Formats: sequence, structure tokens, C-alpha cells
Amino acid sequence: MGQHDTYDAIIAGAGHNGLTTACYLAKAGLKVLIVEKNDWIGGASVSRSLHDGWTYSNCSYVCSLLRREIVRDLELPRFGLQVIPYEGGASFTPDGDYFAYYSDHDALRREMFRHSPADVDAYERFSQTVIRQCRFIRPFLLRNAPDPSSLRPRDLNELLFLLKKAHGLGAKELGETLRFWTMSIGDFLDEHFENDLIKAHIAGAGIIGTGLGVYSPGTAYVLLHHYMGDVDGAIGAWGFARGGMGAIANALGACFEEAGGTIVTGSGVDQFLVKDGKTVGVALENGDTYQAPIVASNMDVKRTFLNHTETKHLPEDFTRAVKRFKIRGSSGKLNIALDSLPEFPAAPKGSPFLRGDMHCSQSLNELERAYDDWKEGHWSKDPYFDMLIPSQIDPTLAPPGKHMMTVFVQYAPYDLEVNGVRSGENWNDETRKAFADCVFDKIEVAMPDIRKHVLHAEIRTPWDIEKEVGLTEGNIFQGELTFDQLLFNRPVPGYAQYRTPIDGMYLVGSSAHPGGGVMAAPGANAAREILRNIGKGDLMPKHAA
Amino acid sequence: MSVSATYDVVVIGGGHNGLTAAATLAKKGKSVCVIEKAEAFGGMAREVAHLLYNLHPKVARELGLGALNEGKPLSTISLAEDGNHVEISGDTVRFADGAAHPDAAAYAEMIRRLKKFAGVLGQLSTKTPPKLDGGLTSLATLGELAGLAKMGLDLKRLGKKDMNEFLRVILTNAYDLVLDEMPDGPLAGALCADAVRGNFVGPRSPGTVFNLMYRLGQGGDVRLPKGGMIAVARAFEDAARKAGVDLRAGQGVTRVLIENDTVNGVELEDGTVINTRAVLSSAAPKATMEMAGIEHFDVEAARRMRHMRCKGSVAKLTLTLKDAPSIKGLSWDQMKSRFLIAPSAAAVERSFNPVKYNELPTAPVIEAVIPTLSDVEVASDGRHILSANIQHVPHTPEGGWDDAKRRHVINTVVAQLETHMPGLAALVESPDLLTPADIEARTGAPGGHWHHAEMGVDQILTVRPVNGMAHYRFAIGGLYLCGAAAHPGGDVTGLPGRNSALQLLKDGVLS
Amino acid sequence: MSKTPTAVPVGAIPTPLYERMEAISTTKSWANWAGYISPLVLDTVEFEYFAIRNQSTLFDISPMHKYRISGPDALKVLNRLVTRDVAKLRDGRVGYALWCDEEGMVIDDGTIFRYTETDFLLCCQETMYSWLLDSAWGFEADIIDESHTIAGVSLQGPTTFSLLKEAGLGAVEDMKPFDLREVEPGLWVSRTGFTGDLGYELWTAWDDIAALWDRLWAAGGNWGLRAIGAEALNMVRIEAGFIAAGVDFQPVHTAMRLHRGRSPLELGFEKLVHFEKGHFNGRRALLQQREDGMKHHLVKIDIGGFKPADGSLIYHRKKKEVGHVTSGVWSPTMKQNIALAEFKAPYGKAIQDDLWVEIYVNEEGQWDKRIVPLTVVDKPFFQNARSRATPPKSF
Repeated sequence: MGQHDTYDAIIAGAGHNGLTTACYLAKAGLKVLIVEKNDWIGGASVSRSLHDGWTYSNCSYVCSLLRREIVRDLELPRFGLQVIPYEGGASFTPDGDYFAYYSDHDALRREMFRHSPADVDAYERFSQTVIRQCRFIRPFLLRNAPDPSSLRPRDLNELLFLLKKAHGLGAKELGETLRFWTMSIGDFLDEHFENDLIKAHIAGAGIIGTGLGVYSPGTAYVLLHHYMGDVDGAIGAWGFARGGMGAIANALGACFEEAGGTIVTGSGVDQFLVKDGKTVGVALENGDTYQAPIVASNMDVKRTFLNHTETKHLPEDFTRAVKRFKIRGSSGKLNIALDSLPEFPAAPKGSPFLRGDMHCSQSLNELERAYDDWKEGHWSKDPYFDMLIPSQIDPTLAPPGKHMMTVFVQYAPYDLEVNGVRSGENWNDETRKAFADCVFDKIEVAMPDIRKHVLHAEIRTPWDIEKEVGLTEGNIFQGELTFDQLLFNRPVPGYAQYRTPIDGMYLVGSSAHPGGGVMAAPGANAAREILRNIGKGDLMPKHAA
Repeated sequence: MSVSATYDVVVIGGGHNGLTAAATLAKKGKSVCVIEKAEAFGGMAREVAHLLYNLHPKVARELGLGALNEGKPLSTISLAEDGNHVEISGDTVRFADGAAHPDAAAYAEMIRRLKKFAGVLGQLSTKTPPKLDGGLTSLATLGELAGLAKMGLDLKRLGKKDMNEFLRVILTNAYDLVLDEMPDGPLAGALCADAVRGNFVGPRSPGTVFNLMYRLGQGGDVRLPKGGMIAVARAFEDAARKAGVDLRAGQGVTRVLIENDTVNGVELEDGTVINTRAVLSSAAPKATMEMAGIEHFDVEAARRMRHMRCKGSVAKLTLTLKDAPSIKGLSWDQMKSRFLIAPSAAAVERSFNPVKYNELPTAPVIEAVIPTLSDVEVASDGRHILSANIQHVPHTPEGGWDDAKRRHVINTVVAQLETHMPGLAALVESPDLLTPADIEARTGAPGGHWHHAEMGVDQILTVRPVNGMAHYRFAIGGLYLCGAAAHPGGDVTGLPGRNSALQLLKDGVLS
Repeated sequence: MSKTPTAVPVGAIPTPLYERMEAISTTKSWANWAGYISPLVLDTVEFEYFAIRNQSTLFDISPMHKYRISGPDALKVLNRLVTRDVAKLRDGRVGYALWCDEEGMVIDDGTIFRYTETDFLLCCQETMYSWLLDSAWGFEADIIDESHTIAGVSLQGPTTFSLLKEAGLGAVEDMKPFDLREVEPGLWVSRTGFTGDLGYELWTAWDDIAALWDRLWAAGGNWGLRAIGAEALNMVRIEAGFIAAGVDFQPVHTAMRLHRGRSPLELGFEKLVHFEKGHFNGRRALLQQREDGMKHHLVKIDIGGFKPADGSLIYHRKKKEVGHVTSGVWSPTMKQNIALAEFKAPYGKAIQDDLWVEIYVNEEGQWDKRIVPLTVVDKPFFQNARSRATPPKSF
């Protein structure tokens, strides 16, 4: 390690996207270095052991979006990656009932019938619509977003591809698509379903990680973003990475090292070094510097350019656009070690849906009110949460008979309001505990004796996630997935194709198209761009090419 | 059933759009009859609107309504809690006492940009929305696409920077757009209030910048026409009459008569039948469907119309005052302005919260004007009228409207006004509240919604009023929509009526 | 905690007839039909097949979806729903019908039972409750899902009339094909079926169907009664030229991919599309299609050779791919290699010659590709006067 080490390419940040870019570049024969501020790799796709004997996926916690083309190109299963689908889910109610989302189609129909006969078929129609939208959008995930203001042949080509796909939908479906992409998940569900509980169960996917309410236009797309993944081709299915989400990063890391790459952990980037408008390397916080003609940042766009790049290298418009790019912290998380599986008085023992995602939200209005709290800088008094006990399926996460539970909470503000002052500094042990208590109170709807089972709980607020992982405001998508920040607008109009105003510098994280979720598409797309720019486009493996 | 008359076209509903459609057709030599259920013509322009904006110059010119767009536009005063009210006239902003406003430049720049974008977008408003199924073999579609292509070219002509900005802001929300440029306060609040006006949204809702642009489409000037909105209604009525339209008020259409999947007449409440080759309906889509008979519509179309978003959330409060109120720090002339109570963008968003749950407003956004100060004709015996639009009032609160709830809304609004107009409560003689439910009952506007259908990005252009029905043609041969639910939408623009009439002529139904 | 919910069962559940079928099943070969356990084969496919064409057979049709449509506007709702004119269906008659989405693509097909002008039952494969509610919105008609309250058996074969007589149900004697009658309180019989042969469908309350089965079974000895599974039934329905939802066409509401829908015109049901009756769902789109021309044709074909051609691709001049076989089987009665096939227009209709089927066969581990000629056929492959004779013959 030293001042003068030179590489072909440097990746700043060992999140799953940075690792993905690095793997592709290394496999194409480049000499690649990854620098990572933490002592571990993975960014938000990480497994941490914070309580003896337990493994927490303490940021991202389920897997579906990871593109199979990438898994295949990089042979991740050979490096230990296994994604196991999980079975259904449930929403519990205070009166001791539940709505169970069975993976068995017949059981799901019967369960819907039990709650609302008219919703049984409605669900089929809902699924059809969503799957059609997923099928429409998927081909765009591993492609560049066209720049509509450009006349370059490639952009026109991408634009043409989009128009052709849109044309292929036919008038009716195109109209439905335009609506779907712009409407709220609440309105969409109200069009399809009658039952509040069923609507609430489905609506969660429209707000997870998002600073919008269920009735905010654009949240139907957010739901799509969560549904467009798959486990082995089963669209919308979710799974666990065996060994926690860190298994993804670890597999990528192993792939990278096998391809000859180097990872340096423990010190983050202090400055991206620029000379004459060209990138020349990075200077780390510990004083080390590394040189390379290509530097790719896995950090979000704000952190990359507002914190670690000298403004003088950037056009004023660009900096302004980066400043107004919205990255809002809206989610918190509890990672819990349990001494045994808690009782679910409502559900028969061993019910398959207990192994899936569990919630305690009753209605769309309840979810919308949760958003109202957040707008004012408070955590939701009556929060939405997505709660799983993956140790029921994955034996590697907790000692036998004991369990690991992950609770993703929407909404929690980044800049908490206390006495009229909104600031991340307001998150302290006291407010953190009050936040967790609020969540536990609601978990008791499903598991009344949950508190008795808790051996250890890690409480994570947006503030903590920013501090540890580096995500601005702790936003899990590196930028809101609103339609003004998607496709050619992501992250900055005119710079939606992984390039930046600085020659040789790229953006490879979820701030770039197609956005967040452990999808690895931005990383792979960026690698394709980089290789193409250095005349090695043919070295991109075929699945993601 | 007696057949009383035969026309080329019958127009259902004598609001400004119905009258515009009728006048447009009559000017082309068609025999046209307008059937209005109420005793007077003018619809919502008469009953609900209290200011005129967005009247399209093409419509004004074609109908000879130019006078309505003349005169000095009203300035807007956004009332501030600390008394530093902000006066907005066109694109200039200053404090009401004449002092410079620190965000005046940012405001002017933002309005300049939005107006420019609105101009590009505005091209689409005078045309039938393009069909996107790209039947490139069809000449009609090619023509429509040409309009879109023209817009595309104009966009390119904006330059790369503005085009990028256009594509970003068109779908964004007013709250962020405004607060990216200026600190929160009465000016930001005023912009956000105008971005949500008439719609069921708060400024944080994506798509609200589109509303703001729509409002700025004809320059954004707000006018208080001489004689009030009744005079505006009358001007439309006179234009139609002058063009040779037969106007029948006091009796509504109960049925649209159909034979062979084509309209051939309408039946009135008393059973009278009027024969016609085409019917243009300015009633809401669902109501029109019911007049024609649901069995004539595909199930999917009916479902879409059922689910059309049209939750009205604006109430109108008319206060008759014993005397003119005053606001500290404002001149007599400034009292003629349009007032906004929208102290901040955050307050406008908060105003939206209760209505989402059908709850009564606690601190609603208010737009108020005292027309009697500008127009002596409408004042009588020293009394004055204060007219207020209250944004974010539920159509029907939990348990329905009753006197107590109405009083609650009135008191809330009067108390809010009172903080700026001390002594107002004592001046109030008779408060008259029109809730969205009342507006629906009086005008037939679904949900009491100003625009018949929410102007959300999921309900505009090719999906307005609903997917598959954006061409004014309404499933059955010779049946057309011509009201605010059709493209381009609400406000007293006259465009839905005009465009629909032109589409009918183009389709050759009458030839 | 006030409620103690009972968990719904997971997977396929038994119909009231499952116990009886389970007792005689030697193959234990079951399928999931609309959430119920339904036999594919009970004993031997070919003997079950021959029993349909030679004796009497019983098949459990309880899993069918059944919707009651009643009220003053029931006829209006049905006429809005389906393409044929239900006003022309008389009381006590059954009619086959198809219904479409707004683009004229078939949602499903099924049978309409007309009790009276204000009371109908719709029987179909796909679940249709929400669609019927949507279709009835704004009309005075009630939709009741009777799928789990009415059960049914299909009694098919040349000796079925004799069997019914022996079972004390001789009252069906004067019933013509597609007649519907309540022969005993709570027991409805329709002279309908999916076999192209003489046969009846018997409908009764969910809890009474087992007793009915026993009654028929007791009378069946002299008439060679056999219980059968879906595989034998599939053979005879192809012989009769009947289409099956999800096989010969994709019900458009279940298609995840776009443009998989087919119109009744494309499926060959021009005669069941009554444009003159006024508006019905998809009418305008179908008129347009009639004008623009169809994109596909579903037709019956007779294929050379002996190897069933299910799923095979079809070529014109052995080169250009122009269609595929949707259902194919060797007909043991007709001694023909028969199939239903979908062609891209104009093949199968305007162009009918020089068409070839590419069949892959695996004979004891050896794969072989055969290119065999086909002929387009107009009429059902199996037709027999006994299926329509009234009163029916004894066997």
C-alpha cells in the first residue's frame, strides 16, 4: 500500500454495485482497486455479527431484484451465493385475526374469500397488471436510459427501443402504463380491492424506503420497483440470501479477488483527484493516494460530488442539480436476536406465512397518516413495518432454536424534530429507544410476548445508516424513486448514463439508473459504459451486454 | 313522446364549455340547441368561480369575448402572520409596503421558466390529444402525432438545458421545486397554493408543478371581470345566442336516445324528444354514460369512469359584510387584490392533511377577494361581499354535513381571516357556504370537483377523462364529451368545448 | 382478542365425491381443478374412453364455476356480457356462449342455463365473480357465486338414458339436447355435455351430490357405468371438436403476456356473435376486426401418420412456420390422427394446402422428427345421430 500505486480503475465503495462494476472490469482484464471506508465490504448488503452467535442482515434484508444475468456472468453461486425463496406473508390485526398471503394459490384465494369475496378475482387482475408492467420494464433495467435531449445515434437508438416497446403494448395497455407509472398505490389498490386489510398488506411495497405516502402519485411505480425482481424467474417472488445479505457482497468480493482485483478497507475516500478536467485518482482519509485514469464512485451522487469532489471541477448547473436531487431518509430498522420463536396467538403453529414478511397495518389511511407524521419530522406513531424471521429458513443466522428477526420500519425521519428543531443530532439513545418502543408496541399485535424474547436489538435510524453505511440521509435507494428522478432524470438530466462532468469519473451506485434495491444493475450498466469508453466493450459478458 | 324539434347537434349542459361548443358549431353553420337543467346558463363559471383566469385567447377571439381578458389583472397578496404581506403582480414580487423582497429574482426566474414550459405544453391544449397506438397507417393519427412531433421540436428548440429541466419538472412536486429556490414563507406558500388549487392534492404530491404550469398556460393573469362571474357566464351565453344557438334552460336531458349504436336524439324531463345527429355532453363522463344507458358501454370503460378520480375539495364561502373590512398595512387599492392565506409551503401541505381522511379543515388555505371594492355595480346599500375559496374541505365528512359542521367550517375560515382583518366577524351578516357536496348538487360536477376530474398526471392528455376515451368521442356514434373532464381540463378556458366541436366536425358525423 | 380465525386449507381439497372416486381409483392420479381434487385417470384411460363412446360414464364436475344471475335486469346483463343473443334462448334451455373484453378477446366460454327471463346460471372454467359484478354494475341484477353450493356430475354415453330410467329419472325422456329441467325437487338435469355423444349433466346441492352419485351408481350395473377422469374426457372433446379454455385459447384475463387473446371470430364462432342484438362487450372491436381481418384461425385438422401431434409446430411448404397444434390426439373410434390447431391468418382458412406438421417422437429412447401432411376439416371428427335423438335410444 503506498502513495504511488497505480491502477487501471479505482472503485470508491464496496457496496454491491461497486463490487459488481469492479468484477466486470477485473474480468475484462483491468487492474482494479476497491477502496472501502468500513472494515468490511458490502455497503448496505451486509451480514454483521453484532450479538454473539447471531448474524444480522442489518441493512437490506431480502433479495429479489438481483439480476440473474449478473449472477450468471459473475458465477456468483460458485462463490457461495444461494438465494432461497420464502413463503408468503401476513398482516395481523388487533382483534386477533390476520390476512395471510399464502404462496399456495388455492389457499390465497380462500383466504381472500374469507375477508372479501369480491377481492378474490380482483387480485388476479391486480397481479396480471403488475406482472405485465414488470415484463415491460425489465428489458430497460440492463440498458442505458436514453437521453431525450441528445441526437447521438446511441441515444436515438435507445429512445427508439423504448418507443418500440411502448408501441408494442397497444393503445389500451399503453394508456394503462402511463397511468400506472404516474398514479398512487392507494388509488391503484382502491380501483382493484374493497378490503382495507388486503389493500394495506399490498400497499407496503409502494412506500418502503420512500418519502411519499400511499396516496402520493408515483407510489404505484415504487411498488413495481419492488415487484420487478424474481427468484428463479418467479416474478415478484422474494428470497433470502443464505448467510444474510452479506453473502451477496462476499460472493462478489470473492469473484473480484479471483479475477485479480484488490480491496483496501478501513479508509474511505477523502477527495476524488481531478486534473485538467480528468480524473486521476483518489486520496483516502488516511492520507494514502492511488492513481487511475478511471474512477467509479459507488457513493450516492450527493456524497460523491458535494462532499468529496472539489466544486471547481464541476459545472455550476450540475452542482445545483445534485443539490436538489432528493435523497430523503424515511426508514428505520430493528435487528433483533430472539431466544426462541415468539407465539403468534392468531396463527396456527407452523403456518407457512409466518416464514414470510409480516405486518400489522390495517388500512391505507393508517399508512397515509404514518406519512403525515414523517412530514413533520416525527417517526410514525402508528408505523408500517415489514418484519421477517429469516432464521426459520436460513440455519446460519442464529444458534439452533434461537432466531433472528429483522423489522424494517417506515417512516422514520432523518432530521428528527424535537422542540421545534429538526436535526439528525436529535437522534440519541433516548429518542432511539422511544422509537423502538413505538415499534415494539405495534409488533405486540402479532406477537404479544415479543419483548420477553428479545436478547439483543440493534436500533437503526436514518441518521445511523448515513453514519455507518454512508448513504445520504440513510435513504436506501440513494435517491427517491419519484418519476422526476427516474430514467433520463436519474440522477441528473444529461448525466443519466453513469458518466459525470469529469472525464474518466463514473457513478455506479443506485443514484444512477435504474435505481435502488439490491439489483446490481447500475453497477453492471456502468461497467458496460466504462468498457465501451475504453474500447473494450466486447469484453462485457453476453448476459449483461 | 312528442318530437319537438330537430337539430344537427344537441349540447347537454349550458356551462361555459357547452356554450363554447355550441357557438363554435353554430358559427360553422350547424343548427345547435343547448339544453341546460338549471334556470340560468353558466354552470360552474357562474356558481363556483369567483375570478377569471385561463380563458383561452383563441376561444375569446372566436367567440368575441375579448373584453373579458381586458383590464388590469388583479395582484395577489399572500398574507403573512407577521404582517409582512407579500404582493405578487405578474412576475414581480415585493412586500406590500413596497419594500424589496429578497426572493423576487428567484421568483421571477422560476415563473419565467415555468411560463416558457407552459407555452410549449400549451400547444397540446388546443388539439385533440395524440393517440399513441401509432397506427401509422391512419392519417388521423399521423396528424395528431404531428402535433406531438411539433412539441418535440419546440422542446429541442428550448435548448438542451431547458429541455432537460422541462422533462424533470413536469412530473415533480411544487413543494420541492419552490423550496429549492427560496426559503419557506408566504411567497412559497402562495406558489404552492396556486399549484394545488381546485385539486385533491398537497404541494408535496408529485405532479403539482404540472398544475402550476397549467395555471400559467395563458400567462397566469387573474381577473375580476366587470359584473363578476355572472357577467362572464352571460357573455358566453350571448356569444352562443349571437351565433344562432337555441338555448333552452330549466329542463335537463334524461336520456340520450340511441339506435344502431348511433345517437338520434335526446329526451327531456317532460318526455319531449329532440332529434339530432350528434350530442355533445358537457356533463361528467359517468353521468353522460348513464344518460345514454350503461349497456352501450364496454364493462372496462364503465369501470374506468367509476374509478375516475374526482374528489372535490374546495368549498366556497360568501360573506355578506355590513362594511368593508381592512387589513393593517394595506392601502384601499391593495384591498382589491386577491388574498391568499397560505403562510408557507408546509402550511399548504398541512392544510391538505385532514381532507385525506374526510375530516374538517383546521387551518385551510384560503383564496379570498372582495369584488364589491372594485365593482360598484355589484355592491348594494354599502354592504360588501367577501368571496373565499377554501381549499381542502371534504365532499362529505364522516356522518354527513349538518349545521354544526357547516358552522365549524365558517367559523374556522372567519377566524383565519379575522387574524388579518380585525373585526371581520362582527361585520358578517349572512355567511353562505357551498361545500363540494353542494356544488355537486347544484352543478352536477362529480364530487363537486372544479375540473370534473382531478387534474393529476394520471388523468391528463391521452388518459383524460379515462384511458381509451381521450378523443372526445364517447363510445357511441355521434356522442361526444365537451366538458372539463375532457382534454385539456378545467378552468374557464373554453377549450374542451371548442376542441370537442372541432373533433365532431372533423369526424364527419354531420356531413 | 375477539376472533379466533380458522386457517384456510392449503392446496387442493376434496369435493363431496372424492371419497367415492378415491375408493375406486387404482391409478391415484389426481389433478387440481379450481382448488379441488379431480381425477385425471381413475383406472385406465382407454377403457374410460371407450366407456364414454359405448356405455355410461360419470365425471365429477363440481369444481366448475357457477354463478347465479338474477333480477329484473338479468337478461340485460347477460346480453351485455356474452356475444350471442340470450333473448333468443327460451326458458328451460341451455346455451353455449363466449364473452369478450373490450378488445373483443375471449375472456372465457361456458354455458348459460336459463330458468326464467330473470334467473340464469352461468357455468364456466374461469373464475368470473368480479367480472360479473363489473358487468352488472348499474343494473338491477344480483350475482351469487354458487360454485361451492351447487355440485354436479356429468353422465355421458349411449346408455345414459336407459340408466337414468332405471334410476327413476325417466322423466328426461322427452328432453331435447340443451333442454334443462328440474326433474325432482332440487335436482336439475340438462341434456348437455363435453363429449359429442348422448349425455346429461345433473346438478344438485353440494351436500346431496354424493347421494345422487350412489343412486346412479346403483342403477349403472346393467349399463356398464364407469367413473372416468379428465384424460379420457379430453379425448372425446377433441373428437367432438370442442375447444378448451387455457388449451386451445388463452382466456385473456389470465394472460400475463400481451396479445395472447383471441376473438370468437378467430376461434371460429362467427355464428355465436350476434352483432344485430345491440351492444355487447367488445362489439365495436369485433366489428373492427371483421373489417380489418383476423390475425389467427383456430381450425380442426386431420394429420397424417399415427403419432399424436399435441404441441407440434405447423409449416407451410415445409418451411414457413404458420401455426401450432393446440390439442391433438389419436382417435380410437375414428382411427384418425386429429387435432385442433391455431394458424396465423390467412393459413388454415384461405390457404389450406401444402401444410405440414412437425412431430417429434420418442420411441424407446430414440428421438425422431416426422414431417407429416395435414388436412383442414370442417365438421366435428365424431358425429353420431344417437347424440341428438329424442327420445333417446336405449343404447
